[in-house]
Amino acid sequence: MSPASPAIAATGLDPAFAAGLAIRVADLRKTYPPALVAVDGISFEVREHEIFGILGPNGAGKTTTVEILEGLREADSGEVVVAGIDVRRDPRGVKSLIGVQLQSSAFMDNLNLVELINLFAAIYGRKVDALELLRKVDLVEKAKAYVTKLSGGQKQRFSIATALVNEPRVLFLDEPTTGLDPQARRNLWELALTLRREGRTIVLTTHYMDEAETLCDRLAIMDEGRIVALDTPDNLVQALIGRGFESHKVERLASLEDVFIDLTGKELREE
Amino acid sequence: MITGAFPALLISSLKAYARNRSAMFFSLLVPLLIMVIFGLLNLGGSVSERVAVVDDAHNGGSQQIIRALHAVPVLKVSQGALDAERAALKNGDVDLVVVLPADLPPSFAGDATTRPVTITEYTNQARPQDTAVAGGVVQRVFDNLQHFASGTPPPILVQEQPVSGKNLTYVDFLVPGIISLSIMQTGIFSVGFALVAMKRTGILRRLMATPMNITDFMVAQVGTRMIMSAAQVVILLSVALLFFKFHMNGNALILLAVAILGSGIFIAIGFAIAGYAKSEDAVPALANIVVLPMMFLSGVFFSRNGEPDWLHRISDYLPLTFLTDAIRGVSVDGASLWTIRGDLLGIAVWVLIAVFLATRLFRWEVG
Repeated sequence: MSPASPAIAATGLDPAFAAGLAIRVADLRKTYPPALVAVDGISFEVREHEIFGILGPNGAGKTTTVEILEGLREADSGEVVVAGIDVRRDPRGVKSLIGVQLQSSAFMDNLNLVELINLFAAIYGRKVDALELLRKVDLVEKAKAYVTKLSGGQKQRFSIATALVNEPRVLFLDEPTTGLDPQARRNLWELALTLRREGRTIVLTTHYMDEAETLCDRLAIMDEGRIVALDTPDNLVQALIGRGFESHKVERLASLEDVFIDLTGKELREE
Repeated sequence: MITGAFPALLISSLKAYARNRSAMFFSLLVPLLIMVIFGLLNLGGSVSERVAVVDDAHNGGSQQIIRALHAVPVLKVSQGALDAERAALKNGDVDLVVVLPADLPPSFAGDATTRPVTITEYTNQARPQDTAVAGGVVQRVFDNLQHFASGTPPPILVQEQPVSGKNLTYVDFLVPGIISLSIMQTGIFSVGFALVAMKRTGILRRLMATPMNITDFMVAQVGTRMIMSAAQVVILLSVALLFFKFHMNGNALILLAVAILGSGIFIAIGFAIAGYAKSEDAVPALANIVVLPMMFLSGVFFSRNGEPDWLHRISDYLPLTFLTDAIRGVSVDGASLWTIRGDLLGIAVWVLIAVFLATRLFRWEVG
């Protein structure tokens, strides 16, 4: 364990978390043998009730970072505190407080949505109203269906439902809208914003800049295992303009996606 | 140790298994089919050797020999012309052709002449075993006639003492074999495929992102297969008793206990394979390397007595041999757990070996 957190060792709870912090990462490092440095000494904090984005090209270290925060992967060194718990010392303790939506979420075949929700709840030692949870992600009419019968967007929403069974304080969404059509993406954005309004903290990884701009209160841009920028989307854009950048794109008041949504409507389509 | 989440994990796993059509097909329907097919073929049930007699003598002596041959229950005796019977021998329709020469004495009475008679036997070199058995039986008939003819008692009298008065049939031999075979198949294949699929699709990873207790998960997986194996045994036994005139001479609960213990070996081997296999495609290849030799060497369908000595000595130690022998001991001989302790020890040692392999090879992550 890291010697950097005497306060945790003493009380089990980091005092910083009284001050509205959901996550604190300090000098986190992870190398895959023989010599692939995936995470190269990053530090950042996520405040409670914010949507925090982690962006970066493939291989930048986003997934490794998130997996370490989720307790799925061991760090080489550094401090990682999530929801007040030292992840490196107590990964199971963290897992019981967070909700995780993995990039390729698969669920057991031959169990229907209600059965899966109840199974996940049992794993957390909880009882939930499965139908209520499914209603929240707009899947109540699919309650008796198997996951294999769901569309891409429905699968992602169901995945989020399973991540909510333990009323998590921190929710991790890993590329939740990859491969979805514009209607399904916007539907998922609304779900994410609703969950934040309920007081949850969300850590989001994405390749879509419009998604980051719409959802994230603050975001970190990673490249080659380091954080190269961390601020609100507005500030990042202003800083770039401040450095004398000029876009070649003509400023428009609407995007092509706005046209698409205007023409095809906001209603969800079922594949 | 297991936690409060265990019952939910076990029930979910059982539900998913029972709803999985291909798993049910392989673990219940296939063993039933094998039993029906082999039961109908009744392989090994007709241990009769076919002897064709070409009677060139047509006298009292030849009639005496033919009557004596007919009196032997294992022989199926037919008569015909030499050319026809030799052709039948070549085709494998008969196992031995005996030619009684024209100069055969008219009678093998006590005062008969001692003039030697040459009887020609045609044998099929392609079927040495059947020919040897038939030849041996025929020779014994001749020996008896000879002693009868010479008036001297045979130097050695063999007294047959039938040990098993239970009138066992091939089905009684086959059913315990099929039970042990299906326990092996269910253990190895269902664990192998299911766990590799869970790894590849990310189900395992999703579960690892919860505070799930790994022991809960493992025990639920193993328990599911053991419960399915027990169900298999009950169904196979019931069908065998109802439709195949199977003789169950032992205690079915002892048989069930032995079956569940034995399934532990193959479930653990399944985990080892799931750990070693990089993809679902690799599972059947790896599983068959383990399954196929045992299917034919462990005495499932046929007695291991046909194996050459060196092979017999190896097959003595195969896990499926221990399990098959133990189950057969219970169903055929009505053995108690104490009587089959040798086989149980063999099974227990194999459980330990398989669990050791599984813990060494099984990985939670892909690659």
